[in-house]
Amino acid sequence: MDSLTDNTAKHTRRSFLDLLLGLGATGWLASVLYPVIRYLTPLPSAGPSGPVKLSGEQLKTLDKERFVIVPVQGKRILVFSDPAQNLRALDARCTHEGCTVQYVPGEAVIWCACHNGRYDLDGRVLSGPPPRPLPQYVARQDAEGGVVVTPQTA
Amino acid sequence: MSTASPRSGGIFGWLDERYGISPLIEYMRHKEVPLGAHPMVWYYLGGMTLFFFVCQIITGVLLLMYYQPGETTSYESIHYIATKVPFGWLIRAIHCWSAHLMIMSLIVHMFSTMLLKAYRPPRELTWLTGFGLFGIALGFGFSGYLLPWNELSYFATSVGTDSVKSVPVIGHWMLLVMRGGEDVTINTLYRFFAGHVVILPLVCFGLISTHLLVIQRQGMAPPIHAGTSTHGMPFFPNFAMRDLLLWLICLTVLATLAWLMPYGPKLPGMEWELGAKANPLAPAYPGIKPEWYFLWIYQLLKEFPPNLMGMEGPQVCLLLVNVLMGSWALIPWLDRKAQRGKHSPTFTDVGFAVIYFLTFLTLKASDLGVAVTPTNDAATAIVASYCAWVTLGIAGVTTLTRFFLYRHRYFLLSAAVLTHIALHGLVGWSYLTVGAVTVVVTAIVLTVSGLTRSGAEGVES
Ligand code: FES
Repeated sequence: MDSLTDNTAKHTRRSFLDLLLGLGATGWLASVLYPVIRYLTPLPSAGPSGPVKLSGEQLKTLDKERFVIVPVQGKRILVFSDPAQNLRALDARCTHEGCTVQYVPGEAVIWCACHNGRYDLDGRVLSGPPPRPLPQYVARQDAEGGVVVTPQTA
Repeated sequence: MSTASPRSGGIFGWLDERYGISPLIEYMRHKEVPLGAHPMVWYYLGGMTLFFFVCQIITGVLLLMYYQPGETTSYESIHYIATKVPFGWLIRAIHCWSAHLMIMSLIVHMFSTMLLKAYRPPRELTWLTGFGLFGIALGFGFSGYLLPWNELSYFATSVGTDSVKSVPVIGHWMLLVMRGGEDVTINTLYRFFAGHVVILPLVCFGLISTHLLVIQRQGMAPPIHAGTSTHGMPFFPNFAMRDLLLWLICLTVLATLAWLMPYGPKLPGMEWELGAKANPLAPAYPGIKPEWYFLWIYQLLKEFPPNLMGMEGPQVCLLLVNVLMGSWALIPWLDRKAQRGKHSPTFTDVGFAVIYFLTFLTLKASDLGVAVTPTNDAATAIVASYCAWVTLGIAGVTTLTRFFLYRHRYFLLSAAVLTHIALHGLVGWSYLTVGAVTVVVTAIVLTVSGLTRSGAEGVES
């Protein structure tokens, strides 16, 4: 009976030490890995946070191609003028595999060339593999005739 | 004085005295390459892959002397190498050609190993390290592709890395770490560069060493049922010399190809014309495709609808790809018959079924049969039927060869894959629907035949 309790005591002491060792090793590993993981995780991309005004160059492209892709807060935004000459803005990143979409004025659709995905002018999927609609943004003509894109979804 | 040493003077004697290398030579002389039931050509493919890898290291280091990663330098430095540096075009051409040839010989090596069941015990680790090396080779191809920072590589990388996001829970974080930001930018290139020239080579050296070490330790796998044969060719010098000759031939072929077609054969996924510099703000254009060895995944992704079983299509598709790859890695444990040293016709047929499956998807992704990437259903159907005919043709030839020459008698799985291809390509049914039906029907047939055959184990070819 005595030796049995002795054994159990030894056993619990042993497993306690094992647990301590395991915790120590895990802690050590975590303290090594944590900085590395943080180091590898990129910071959120910098850039203008408010509404973005299109540059002269971009306006020219918008005029010529009827669409232009502009960087807003680290995102690619498609700005285009629809058949009724209204300015619109959509996230340019295809929801399928992330290709950059384009506006096809002739068919009045947003087209992704990568796997032939099609969206309507509100960003809703018409055909092809994209699983979700494109988020909408706001593009407005300002007082001086410039174009401003607001990075909030409409 | 040691009697084992054949020569005791000169550098050899000096080294032997200090490091005892004559037993090593002796060991290599006694090591034999099994000769027997199957042609020896399959034994050379690993060495060939290794040779192309060595070419990659040499030309890679040479390219590093001029290449400068950076927004305004990546594209420019590659352009400089290809147009200004004396023989720069040749070094780059050899690096690209050798990369493709390496992956080709690796794939053939892997399939021959698979079909000959060389993975069976005790060589599971050889298979597993080999599979790891296959993954590394794909990683090399994928990361190296972005380094010239041209339009095509930029878009292909955007699409390729995007798939990471479908990993549950940590997918988005993995995507960020891989790209160094939300999108593919020059930060992505820096990360890929580090991977391409430091991380992957280090891992690769480790895996190659293990792969070679276990092969040296166990010898090459003899054909099934030839375990007792004493037939063999000494590894050194007989086999090594043949290897050397083959390497010489490979080098000649490599140099000729690089000289004649410095920008590649212009096949889908196999050209490296520099083209325009990457512009992250340009829309994608049609025909953006990865390199040929990724085409089957590219095509499979296209076959999936946006949503399926409450998940997003691409997610389901990549899950499927991972399951397939995982099962491929675990083949030594799945193939119970080969484990017991018996023939396993089922797994031979699995090998062929996989080959047909990949062939069809790869051909379809290459838009075989039409001039431009189709954008409507009618053109897609033409491509599908064209590819189905070609795949069925290839399958017909290989199946007849298997039947008459190798006396194979088990064709259930390859037949299932071919039925799938025919119903999709020739009849025009949806790839996914027919695929699912084929899987279910095959599973039922397998279970039924397994039940009826469990009594008559001895009947196998
Ligand atoms: S990435 Fe746009 S359709 Fe595939």
